[in-house]
Amino acid sequence: MSQKLALVLALMLAAFVLETTMAGQTLPPVNRWIPQDAVIVLEVSKPTALLEVFTNDKATAAVTALPLYKEQASKPQFKEFLNIINFIEITLDTDWRTGLAKLTGDGITLAICPDNIMLAFIDAEDEYMLERLHEFFLNIARSEAEKQGQSDRVTSKEYDGVTVWTFDGEEAHAIIGKRLVFANRLEGLKAVLELRGGAKGTSLVSNPTYQAAKRTAEPDAVATVFTNLKPLMQLPQVAQLLEQQRENPLAALSFAGIAEAVRDSNWLALGLHIEDSTLVLRALVDGQMVAPTSPAAFALPNNPGEGVLPNLSVPRRIAALGFYRDLHQFYSLKDELFPERTSGLIFFENMMGIFFSGRDLTDEVLAETKPEIRFVVAEQKYDPTIGTPQIKLPAFGAILRLRHPVEFNEVVEEAWQKAVGLINFTRGQQALPGLIIDRPIHKKTKFTVAYFSTSGIHDKTSLDQRFNIRPALAMPGEYLILSSTDGLARNLIDALNQEMERSVEPLSGIHSSVEIDGGQLSSILEANRETLVRGDMIKKGSTQEEAETGISMLITLVNLVDNVKLSIGVHEGMTQANLEMKLSWE
Amino acid sequence: MYYTRRNFLRATLGASTLLSFNPVAPNFLIRSLMAAAPRSDDRDTVLVVVQLSGGNDGLNTVVPYGDDEYAKNRPTLCLPPKDLHKIDSLTGFHPRMGAFMRLYEEGHLSIVQGVGYPNSDRSHEGAMRIWHTADPDKPSRQTGWLGRTVDSIWDPNNTNAHAVFVGPITQPFGLNAENVIIPSIRSLHDLITNEMPGHLKRQSQWKRAAELPRDDRDNPLLHFLQRCASNVYANDRRIEAVTKTATNTAEYPPFQLAESLRMVAQLIRADIGIRIFFTELGGGGIGGFDNHANQLDNHCALLHQLSESVAAFIQDLKHEKLLDQVLLMTFSEFGRTLKENGRRGTGHGAAAPIFLAGGKLKSGLIGSHPNLTDLDNGALKFHIDFRRIYATILDRWLGFKSQIILDRQFEPLDILNV
Amino acid sequence: MVVKSEKMAGHNQSRRIHPAVAEKLTDPRWAWAAYQPDDQRPWNLALAGHLYRRAAFGASWYQLQQALSDGPQRTVDRLLRPRADTAAFNSVYDGYEASTAGSIDGLRAWWLRRIIQTPHPLLEKMTLFWHSHLAANSVKVKNPRLMLQHVQLLRNLALNSFRDMLQAISRDPAVLINLQVDTNRKALPNENLAKPLMEVFTLGSGHYTEKDIREAARAFTGWFVLKGQFRYIPREHDGNVKEILGQKGNFTGDDVIRIVLEQPATARMVVHKLYRWLICETEEPDMMLITPLVESFVKDYDILKLVETMLRSNLFFSPAAYRRRIKCPVEFALGIVKALEGMVSTTQLGQDLADLGQNLYHPPTVKGWTGGQHWINTTTLVGRHNLALALLRGSGPYADKLNPWAVAKKHGYSTFTAAMQFLLDLFLQGDLDPDVYDTVLKTVEAPANISSDDPEEILRSFAHMVVTLPEFHSA
Repeated sequence: MSQKLALVLALMLAAFVLETTMAGQTLPPVNRWIPQDAVIVLEVSKPTALLEVFTNDKATAAVTALPLYKEQASKPQFKEFLNIINFIEITLDTDWRTGLAKLTGDGITLAICPDNIMLAFIDAEDEYMLERLHEFFLNIARSEAEKQGQSDRVTSKEYDGVTVWTFDGEEAHAIIGKRLVFANRLEGLKAVLELRGGAKGTSLVSNPTYQAAKRTAEPDAVATVFTNLKPLMQLPQVAQLLEQQRENPLAALSFAGIAEAVRDSNWLALGLHIEDSTLVLRALVDGQMVAPTSPAAFALPNNPGEGVLPNLSVPRRIAALGFYRDLHQFYSLKDELFPERTSGLIFFENMMGIFFSGRDLTDEVLAETKPEIRFVVAEQKYDPTIGTPQIKLPAFGAILRLRHPVEFNEVVEEAWQKAVGLINFTRGQQALPGLIIDRPIHKKTKFTVAYFSTSGIHDKTSLDQRFNIRPALAMPGEYLILSSTDGLARNLIDALNQEMERSVEPLSGIHSSVEIDGGQLSSILEANRETLVRGDMIKKGSTQEEAETGISMLITLVNLVDNVKLSIGVHEGMTQANLEMKLSWE
Repeated sequence: MYYTRRNFLRATLGASTLLSFNPVAPNFLIRSLMAAAPRSDDRDTVLVVVQLSGGNDGLNTVVPYGDDEYAKNRPTLCLPPKDLHKIDSLTGFHPRMGAFMRLYEEGHLSIVQGVGYPNSDRSHEGAMRIWHTADPDKPSRQTGWLGRTVDSIWDPNNTNAHAVFVGPITQPFGLNAENVIIPSIRSLHDLITNEMPGHLKRQSQWKRAAELPRDDRDNPLLHFLQRCASNVYANDRRIEAVTKTATNTAEYPPFQLAESLRMVAQLIRADIGIRIFFTELGGGGIGGFDNHANQLDNHCALLHQLSESVAAFIQDLKHEKLLDQVLLMTFSEFGRTLKENGRRGTGHGAAAPIFLAGGKLKSGLIGSHPNLTDLDNGALKFHIDFRRIYATILDRWLGFKSQIILDRQFEPLDILNV
Repeated sequence: MVVKSEKMAGHNQSRRIHPAVAEKLTDPRWAWAAYQPDDQRPWNLALAGHLYRRAAFGASWYQLQQALSDGPQRTVDRLLRPRADTAAFNSVYDGYEASTAGSIDGLRAWWLRRIIQTPHPLLEKMTLFWHSHLAANSVKVKNPRLMLQHVQLLRNLALNSFRDMLQAISRDPAVLINLQVDTNRKALPNENLAKPLMEVFTLGSGHYTEKDIREAARAFTGWFVLKGQFRYIPREHDGNVKEILGQKGNFTGDDVIRIVLEQPATARMVVHKLYRWLICETEEPDMMLITPLVESFVKDYDILKLVETMLRSNLFFSPAAYRRRIKCPVEFALGIVKALEGMVSTTQLGQDLADLGQNLYHPPTVKGWTGGQHWINTTTLVGRHNLALALLRGSGPYADKLNPWAVAKKHGYSTFTAAMQFLLDLFLQGDLDPDVYDTVLKTVEAPANISSDDPEEILRSFAHMVVTLPEFHSA
């Protein structure tokens, strides 16, 4: 698609948003005009509610106050864009915000059909306004063509009593009452017109998969997405993605239950809800619960009341993850799951054999862990007397629950110290400094930390990457904490102590959960801004300015998200995902 | 520089005697002839090396079940004799190596037993370096034995690549050459020229532009580059012919090694001048054969992959009537200790068997099984120096002079039927 | 329809290099005298392109035009001693490199980017020369910081004194670790420095004996690398008398360097290698021809002076040098990037060049890259073809950073035919045999009735064809 056309389309979208009057004739619901083999259908039934989130005064103020916005706003292209918007505002006698809200007021629907056909339906509230705006764009397209010294490509033709327009000879669109129908190819529009003409039984409405998905939709949804998964999974990229999950042990472990559910499903339904400034996205697939005999069963809470434990809160937390995975079951299935023997796997087994003094990894080590596994990622606070690394990596912590903590504690401690000893021995062979082991006590929990000394280093402001790592092992109560820093280990001990006082319940039925804090994520990106900019320069070949703009954009966008929560579990026999995104305009 | 007679002929006569005596014959014409003419009459022999990274436990591969010492030293790893594929009253293949047993019975597989070298190195890096350089006395040797081989046959009149590494890991040092660039390929696409989409029509014209005779007759480089370009375009066609024809229906198991060997078979069929293929099982790094713990299942899986993949490869070549032209050799940096280590694994050892597969092999079992009571620091002692095998392959199979590659003449083994 | 004014490239015949003056080329005085254009040997685009290929990594259209109007000697002046602040530029890039926190892939990417952006490309060309002549491989050194220091050392002295270079390099931790000579005890002299020093870095085989190496190794005893730093440990030094290359004395390592530098064979080795790098690799230079350079070089080991003599010479601008080298992969890829005035992902490029046989920071052996015709075989030529495609196609790992049509229009060649001729001039200075030139142009017809987006795609394709012609692979 040419840039010119893209601009025209963007403006058209902007335009539907502008309109005032009452509806003329009543049109049938859009889904009766969509072919039944549509693969993905997005229906925004309440565009105004969505617009409210992004265009309210607070949001507008927040966006326009951004340095990035100011920078962009000073560029000539942006000014040109504003001019066009102004012009449209004058032509249609409204301001852009009201206009946008009114033009799309009755709904937006997008559909992707086989053979790369895309359809868009926009239900405005004023037929006359739509016509005027359309005229406006026709003129733009004509004058653009003239400027380029080309012949006019804007043409129109009658089909079924409807005038079908095209700007560039490829796309096709028509205005039918207060509805604008747009297709990226003429065939697409023709199909719509046929359905409109009453060819019954072939529209989306009569698709049983769509009907099933639609039944699960909640009435208060602002927008819904229906995805027909079967044709989607035929796509090589998607198939490859799912295949990867089968081959990579870590991916298999992390996405267990999810990939299986998707593979088994006919449809995916998404519902978008708005609660205050939080966007809540609920996803449902119809795939049956993973059978207990399936290799993926290790990821499923089997009994009522089982599931992931609530995420832990620590200072400067970037992300928290919770999983319900039976490692013992998973590992005993490895031969079945992964017939290839990778170097990494063998190395891991060899090392575990050494650390756990020949104990059987499956039955004598992993069997000691319970399925509730949690991870926490947090930004580090550096002690300037120790030193600050140049690249500031976040701290990572893993929290496992043990079956027999009293008996197993020393086994883990021994394994841990062997691992540190092995690292030190290997580094010593290469004439590199080693780790020093310390056993401090925090809130009555004695734990082990190993660290690199910085005492011989003069410039403590830009240390090597290795100083991001101060590996720690702590075992408060029935939990085992493996943390990349002692700072995070201490915070996790505090968090677990609090949790044990309150005796929290697992989130029943949930097998995976992720929580990300946007503010903290943007803070660590900001702390590494220079590294990111330089990385971008050599990875993309961008100039320093381009790289800086790109990274600023990323940090800004991340900062607009206050937090994101995703949880995936089984609900009434179907796999359900719940994504909540809270936006922050502060 | 050393030429075999065949190379010499190829270099001077090229694809067609008539054309190459005419220096101004258009290259595109030569190219068409090169692509069209089957060269099956003077097809060259091919070597395929399979590296088993990590140190393969020879004792659980070709198992000396008839010796009581074996079971005595391996309380958990000992393979029950009833499950083995018995070769003779002493030895048998690992239970999951049924495919190798079949190859052995068909005469397409030989086992050279007790292969190693004096004062064996027990570190992965050191030992692997020795197998790669073929020079145990000089740890700082800069080139690999196959790299030196390719350097020794370099000839500007033959622009084909003579050796490639096929696989997803870093190219092993055995292919490190002083002069020649040896490519690593992950798929056949790495060997075919791509064009911008939608410009197919112009391609033939452009190739013609590359091949038109040049005025600057004195510049040998332009001629050299033109010749190589013609060769590239001819190879494109040969490879495409191989990948596009549906005649080959060979089935390979779903393993990485099998995929690599399938590619090797396709390239042998394409006949684009590659004499040496190098591929790997075990996955780079230290390698999957390094079983210090929980050896039984892990080792079993690898041996299964090895024997099934190689058997599929041999079957494919046999079906294509190319087997007589191909010799496959496995090697690993060392064997493992006789005694297991308390973690249901084994330590780094020394001598081990290597496998040869192909259509021109003599006798199945070469050399005796090393003595299980006469050990060197817990590991088996060698009685066949691995450089004798290298030398035999270089001299008698590939037709190159091993002496200039290995710096001295090693006594050849009577293992080939040529 | 608006007709744009058409700027046409000149006919290619005028771009062709002048005929040989064979009889004079063997006369050293004439060969090394500075080239002054005349009617028989006019200064033209072909020679400007030649100079920029050898003394830099290719040229942009501006640079070619500037060179045309400045003439050869002033252009050589600028290449040898650019007016821009090279030191300031390099210190910014040293900062970038230091911040890669020890990633060798990062170092490789920054070096390539430095080569593309530097105001002093000849310095990088010579750094690359020394990186091959005094080769250290990161896989052996296993310490990216030492590799960083190593290449910075090569750069600092690349156009300086070879004497200083040799002294610095013989104590460079990266070189010593690479040669496995990080310990050299009195009781067990380690020959791993002495041997390559004589065989590869200086004299060449045939100019020393095994005994010279053994004795020199004794002189180097006491030289260690500990914790990544060079250390001299006096108690490990063998203080007895040694006999090296006919001289007797209580020699140290520095004496060995002094002694090898006194040998004309050392100067001959460097002149010879540089001749291959800058002038011609198809024929070995006649001994008589290079004698004046050797005699001068052995006196002061001034690299800049030697390079200057070569670049200014009649020989350099003669047919005996023209297209008588094969581009190394770095020259091939950057020739495209420089001409199209773009900047691409150098992380990706570093990897792709490694696949073509030139993995920066990883020369294959202590002898560096042999290069020449060895760069080319069917698989590497396929690799070059596909790399050029990736760079030019406008999508994929290199994104749309290079755009031949945009560059042509920028320089005023805004019709389709003019743009094609421009690209032939830009990449090959139009220097093709007439029927090749015509065939190339005829392969593409100006798009008459397709939309305005198409010339860009066709010119990408056309540029790809031009840079895969045999002429573009030669330097």
